[in-house]
Amino acid sequence: MTFDEAQGYVVLATLIAPLAAMLILFFVPGEQKTAVRYISLFFATLMLGASVYIFVAYQFEGPAFSVEGHGIQMEFKRAWVENTAFLGPGGITLRLGVDGISALLVLLTGVVAFAGTLVSWKLDYRTKDFFLLFWMLVAGVYGTFFSLDLFFWFFFYELAVVPLYLLIGVWGSTRKEYGAMKLTLMLVGGSALVWIGIFAVFNEAGLGTFDMPTLWAAGANGTLSPEFQKTFFPFMVIGCGVLAALWPLHTWSPDGHMSAPTAVSMVHAGVLMKLGAFGIIRLGIQLMPDGADYWMPALMVLGTVGAVYGAVAALTQRDFKLISGYSSVSHMGYVLMGLATMNSIGITGAVLQMFSHGVMTALVFLLIGALYDQAHTRDLKDFGGIGKVMPMWVVFYSIAGLANVGLPALSGFTAEFHIFVGTFKTYPLFGGLAIFAAALAAAYMLRMFAIVFFGPFNPRWSSLKDMTPHEYMAGALLIGSMVVMGVWWAPFTDRVAATVTLLPGMTS
Amino acid sequence: MNPEYSWLLAAIPAAMFFVIAFAGRYLPRGGDYLGVAATGASFVLFFALLPDFLDVFDAEAHVLAVAGSIEWSTIGDFELRMGVFVDPVTVVMFAVVTTVALMVNIFSIGYMKGEPRYYWFFAVLQLFVASMLMLVMADNLLLLYISWELVGVCSFLLIGFYWEKRSATEAAKKAFITTRVGDVGLLIGILVFWKETNTFNIQEIIHMAEGGQISETYLFVGSICMFLGAMGKSAQVPFHVWLPDAMEGPTPVSALIHAATMVVAGVYLTARMLPVFAVADHMLLIITIVGLTTALLTSAIAFAQTDIKKVLAYSTVGKLGLMFVALGSGSVTAAMFLLMTHAFVKALLFLGSGSVILGTHHNQEMDKLGGIWKKMPITGTTFFVATLALAGLPPLAMFWSEDELFAAAKDEWGLWALALAMLAVFATGIFMVRLFIRTFTGQPRDPHVYEHTRETPAVMTGPLVFLCVLSVLSGLVVFHGVGTALGFPGGISEFVFQHEPHRYEIDWALAIPSVLVALAGVAIGAFVYWGNDLRRSTALANAQPRAYDLIRNKFYFDEAYQYVIDRGVLGFSYLTSWFDRYVVNDTGVNGSAEVTGYAGSVLKLFQTGRLPNYAMAIAVGVIGLALAGLWLRG
Amino acid sequence: MVPLENYLVLSAILFSLGVYGVLARRNAVLILMSVELMLNAVSLNFVAFAAYLDPDKITGAIFAIFVITVAAAEVGLALAIVIRLFRNRATSNVDEAATMKW
Repeated sequence: MTFDEAQGYVVLATLIAPLAAMLILFFVPGEQKTAVRYISLFFATLMLGASVYIFVAYQFEGPAFSVEGHGIQMEFKRAWVENTAFLGPGGITLRLGVDGISALLVLLTGVVAFAGTLVSWKLDYRTKDFFLLFWMLVAGVYGTFFSLDLFFWFFFYELAVVPLYLLIGVWGSTRKEYGAMKLTLMLVGGSALVWIGIFAVFNEAGLGTFDMPTLWAAGANGTLSPEFQKTFFPFMVIGCGVLAALWPLHTWSPDGHMSAPTAVSMVHAGVLMKLGAFGIIRLGIQLMPDGADYWMPALMVLGTVGAVYGAVAALTQRDFKLISGYSSVSHMGYVLMGLATMNSIGITGAVLQMFSHGVMTALVFLLIGALYDQAHTRDLKDFGGIGKVMPMWVVFYSIAGLANVGLPALSGFTAEFHIFVGTFKTYPLFGGLAIFAAALAAAYMLRMFAIVFFGPFNPRWSSLKDMTPHEYMAGALLIGSMVVMGVWWAPFTDRVAATVTLLPGMTS
Repeated sequence: MNPEYSWLLAAIPAAMFFVIAFAGRYLPRGGDYLGVAATGASFVLFFALLPDFLDVFDAEAHVLAVAGSIEWSTIGDFELRMGVFVDPVTVVMFAVVTTVALMVNIFSIGYMKGEPRYYWFFAVLQLFVASMLMLVMADNLLLLYISWELVGVCSFLLIGFYWEKRSATEAAKKAFITTRVGDVGLLIGILVFWKETNTFNIQEIIHMAEGGQISETYLFVGSICMFLGAMGKSAQVPFHVWLPDAMEGPTPVSALIHAATMVVAGVYLTARMLPVFAVADHMLLIITIVGLTTALLTSAIAFAQTDIKKVLAYSTVGKLGLMFVALGSGSVTAAMFLLMTHAFVKALLFLGSGSVILGTHHNQEMDKLGGIWKKMPITGTTFFVATLALAGLPPLAMFWSEDELFAAAKDEWGLWALALAMLAVFATGIFMVRLFIRTFTGQPRDPHVYEHTRETPAVMTGPLVFLCVLSVLSGLVVFHGVGTALGFPGGISEFVFQHEPHRYEIDWALAIPSVLVALAGVAIGAFVYWGNDLRRSTALANAQPRAYDLIRNKFYFDEAYQYVIDRGVLGFSYLTSWFDRYVVNDTGVNGSAEVTGYAGSVLKLFQTGRLPNYAMAIAVGVIGLALAGLWLRG
Repeated sequence: MVPLENYLVLSAILFSLGVYGVLARRNAVLILMSVELMLNAVSLNFVAFAAYLDPDKITGAIFAIFVITVAAAEVGLALAIVIRLFRNRATSNVDEAATMKW
């Protein structure tokens, strides 16, 4: 067994870990809540460690980095079904691996899942069921990032969506049935488009395989004709775009976030929304380069509309989570803009933004949850001078908010800067609009700071407690990631850019 | 010592920020001595490095800078480098920032004593000093932008230091958002230049701009956008509204950030990019006009302010305007000289007002003060000197720098610019004397306040005296002899310049009117307000009620902005939210769900539950299909 | 030998009778009987075609046997339902068992 094969097992183990957690939790009696929590924490730590290892061990230069292999490393490959009526050799394989883009997103998943576990520590209602579904969600996310086979990619993509319905419907708050229903229906509707696209590709390529790199080659060498790509690229992008809050299919995001329980909001806004953008890279740019070339200006327009629209709408919201929901729409708009630039700077920025927005939003939802659990309201106007009773909470929230605004030395700046540069290269006007939206971000964030954190103290809240140690740890981890990426971004850009420059149709 | 170690200047306070922020609350006295030690170290290090800088600089050989950079990140052929670039402009900024920062740090020990979050104040102060020093030595626009935003956020944190007060919070928000609007321009400008030159390195951009390698349109758009950033940071009309409100912050902060250092970042940026701006069409004229408008408008507003700090704030904005006039006249020398002398004088004035505020138990309204010179002799005397210095009387510091400014303005634009600049200086004399008289002399307006007034401790008066000395003497560096005695190549105009050094000579045709104007201002101010008697000034105000109303309400800028924000921005936001709720969500998303539901409610009626209906449907269906098949086969 | 057409006509008549019965009758037992009639008509077709087209193979006959088997099972099930219906509603009229609707 070579070293790379051995690393393939690390990837496999990372994927199996949440499934193993589910299996073990299944046999733990539901009353043993502490045991459930510690088992979850054990596996979360395991996943975090493995994710960090995968990210660090990813070789972005030297002999291990293979240009022909699309920069994919740490592969694990087992035939699943092949040589049947319609599948050829290598029809469906369990093919796992990471490239620079997914390595970063795997790291994000590890960090956010770990933080989510810590934050759910005080969750007391059906703890076991919650964690069962939570790990199912995480397994789906990991699987999507690892899969190099369209069938399994889609399988895990759906696996991530299903538990959301229950997690929001059972453990949620404000209008949870509506939020859960809307979110699930919209995401599943998007998946249906993706599924059509996948079958169309399978059929058109006529290779009898769902293997991604094989199909990427087919997309690049014209086996998938340019007309075909132009027709089916929108299926992939709109389908995945729903999950990435593509305007105007974003409305599940504010409502879904408003209803979701803390940890689910964190994983959802933090990681799941990135699956959509990741899908656009994997199924759009990599699979159908001609389609991408043709459609990207349209995506640029929609992304910019989303970025400005989300920021403007967030300006007058009164609910914490709605602000974050709309700000997510805005930030995912930046991601889409970055992807639409089709140059390596912009797409690298988009991937950085996925990470940055992930940790930042996870932190924001963590903090909103910490407040809501005590105050049972999220209306800004109810609060005032919270800094007096929850100083650390305010500090953490301020850091998250400033990252949101794009303050240098925090990850948001690094990502947005690269997106702006990339956008300016191709579409200067849209770049200007995006920068303008970033200024609006300052307005809506500071408005919230001013109303909630500062000003005269409202004595109604004198019983509020500051963050618990678990939340503190989770928050510190997230802030740490933000600062590292904000200050010393070379380790991130190196890995991502190594892969991004290999994407088809890239201008440097 | 290798001059490239100048990054240490910023690194020391930056490190101390983390120490104080994390450990400060467990340290005795909140670790304030660490703050003083850090800025003190930067101060000492700067003076240790200065001879090395001067050794390297060689005007004859046109070597005027020390530069060094390291690779930061690479994406394909998009390489980012971070580095330092130290030239005479930077050296002046180093001198100003380290000196004022050290004085303010020492002063704060007395001023902030007993305040809550004492350690936090010192922590943010260190972060500010570090970012500011980084800003002035950045060799590329990216690093400059990063530090630019960091000083902005420090300003935000410090203005909002007393966050329990609604007004402080609002002021902090206003400052951050207003400058942020300018920053949009700055970032766009940076990216426009990047698009044209493919680099962020300032010197390379200057080189390419001067070589005509940037197209005219882009050059103009980029310059205008960058200048917007400078206007936001340096509070030029129409972005000036945030600076007076920023006086909600603790007074040492006003001295350091909102008078001496951060607000001059815009001036620094413009000075740094001046070779580029000079190539762009009309750019210098725009800069001059913006500067003059600001100087005159804010001087007018300052007449009607009764809050000591607000008067000083408006005078700061006005002087920043004059610095832009100097830059617009193409004189980096005058701008940097004015910047330096103004920094010392204004820092002294602000620290002096802080001393007054503390000495009178948090009173900063002129209407309640008066006659406290006797009670606060050191503060009063230093304040007096600074007032005269700011008014531009010789031989105090600002006279010499304003003299340089006048010369430059006259050379570049002719008499109209000179006259308007002199008018601004004249106005400064009046309202500064008004400020001094109403605060320190005459009869106390509020006996209770007067009763409890006392001089502040040495930790506060010490920096006052030190800055007072600088306010008197720092102007003399204009002379060749003084400059060489200090180890510089000559006077400041032989050290800091854009194209060619020139030795300073007193031009009596300019110096005499300039002295007369300054004297006239001081004299008129003294005449109107002598003895803290308000009858003459009230009569003046009543004689022109409309004009007085206008300046008292600051030309209604705030009201106009509030209107635009409420009706324009927030209105648009409400509209968008409404659109999102009712059109996109309720019509688009819920609508499609409702259409589906309605279709179901109609179609379900076919399910009668009656067996014969189903049977009939099957029969009809089979026959129909059979007929269709026959018909299709033809 | 009797021509094929005769079998087919007989089968068609039987099938039409069955269809008529299913559509026109309201008694569950009578409907069932009509369905059986239709099935028998189909079986007759199978056997007839099998005998005429390829007498050596017995495919058609096997299909007929299958049909009979399925029909028997179906009748067993259907009659059980009818009995339950009669026990509950005291009727075997299908019009009165119309609750399985919206």
